[in-house]
Amino acid sequence: MSAEQVGLWAGFVLTLMVFSYILGDNFLYRLAVYVFVGLTAGFIAVVTVESVILPWIDATIVADNAPTSNVILGLIPFALGVLLLLKTSPRLGPVGNISIAFIIGVGTAVALVGAVAGVIIPLADTTAEGVNANTVNSYLVVAGVISSLVYFQFLAKRRADGQIRRGPVSLVIGTIGQGVIVVTLGALYAAAILTSLTIVSERLGFIFMRINGS
Amino acid sequence: MRIRPGAALTSAVAIGFGVITLAGLLVSDDVSVISDLLLQLVVVTIAITVLIGLLNLLTVHLGRIFKTQGGWVYSLVMLISAGLVIVLTILERTDVIEPDVGERAPSAILLESVQVSIESALGGLVFFALVYGAARLMRRRVTWWGILFTAVLMIVLIGALPVSGLSRLLDVRDWLLEVPVSAGSRGILLGIALGTVVTGARVLIGQDRSYRE
Repeated sequence: MSAEQVGLWAGFVLTLMVFSYILGDNFLYRLAVYVFVGLTAGFIAVVTVESVILPWIDATIVADNAPTSNVILGLIPFALGVLLLLKTSPRLGPVGNISIAFIIGVGTAVALVGAVAGVIIPLADTTAEGVNANTVNSYLVVAGVISSLVYFQFLAKRRADGQIRRGPVSLVIGTIGQGVIVVTLGALYAAAILTSLTIVSERLGFIFMRINGS
Repeated sequence: MRIRPGAALTSAVAIGFGVITLAGLLVSDDVSVISDLLLQLVVVTIAITVLIGLLNLLTVHLGRIFKTQGGWVYSLVMLISAGLVIVLTILERTDVIEPDVGERAPSAILLESVQVSIESALGGLVFFALVYGAARLMRRRVTWWGILFTAVLMIVLIGALPVSGLSRLLDVRDWLLEVPVSAGSRGILLGIALGTVVTGARVLIGQDRSYRE
């Protein structure tokens, strides 16, 4: 039996083990999940080392005729990694926060620019362009977007009796927005069912093909 | 007010590097050289963080095996699976294992035939969970929003059936997808993006300092 055949039979057995969960949580299902976790951990380690860490070391620390500044630069992420390891110590733990702060600081800037340039401006632009089409549906889309955003805002007034309530206009628009969100989630749920149905039928096809020996 | 030097340094690192990166991404080429370098450093640091996390995972499971705690068999299976991938990859890279011409490498077989099979099967299980969840939705409490949700769910699902004579229903489904679903999706995405902007701004002005905990 070739390695390809062994792989296919292993996939077949593990698929059945995962589907055994339909009968309830059991030993075989857990075994398959732990195999999955192990394989994923292994592949993540391989990809991380081969695609990120080794190229970085090649380009900085062990590069031909690399100046000292390059070597120091190459060692910085490793130093930050060592600082992170200190977080396991109760006394030296706060020192590890410097690494976290560095990652969060740079990550926040990237997320900010990504949110504005990648989501807010393009979506606002597309929605505004739709109005130019001057159709009922395009106006309804704009109304739907605005009302769903109003639904997401949590500003409210405190009344004299201590109750916290939204204003009447905000309440009406927010309720329409809630309807829009419910319809969206219903459609997304249906799409998720259809997608997973496709996956199930593919897996069942694979199982029957293995049983038939093709 | 007492200022702790360590906490102040942490805040200064987050705010300082955040502002420099933001300036580099938005403003000039001179600063963008620095921000590109910072991004590279963060990518490598995150990669090292991932490795530390994996090392921690393996250590925890190794501990469970040595102490023969409950579920140690699962931990053993997990460690063997992870070790298999790493050992096979090392043997392939050092040319100890060389697949024949036209054959896939063992690690590729492990990925495409075994790993993807389990992933797909787990994805398939989601189908049963989703259908069960949808069936239970209306059993506990019937609300107008629940009825609307179920109606849309049914319209989209029935609309996906390859059956003739459903043209009116298909029109309704297409309108739903084109107007309210499109609007709602944009609203949700815009809400997430606005939330990201607010949280990001809070971090950069030092209002949110959860990284110090």
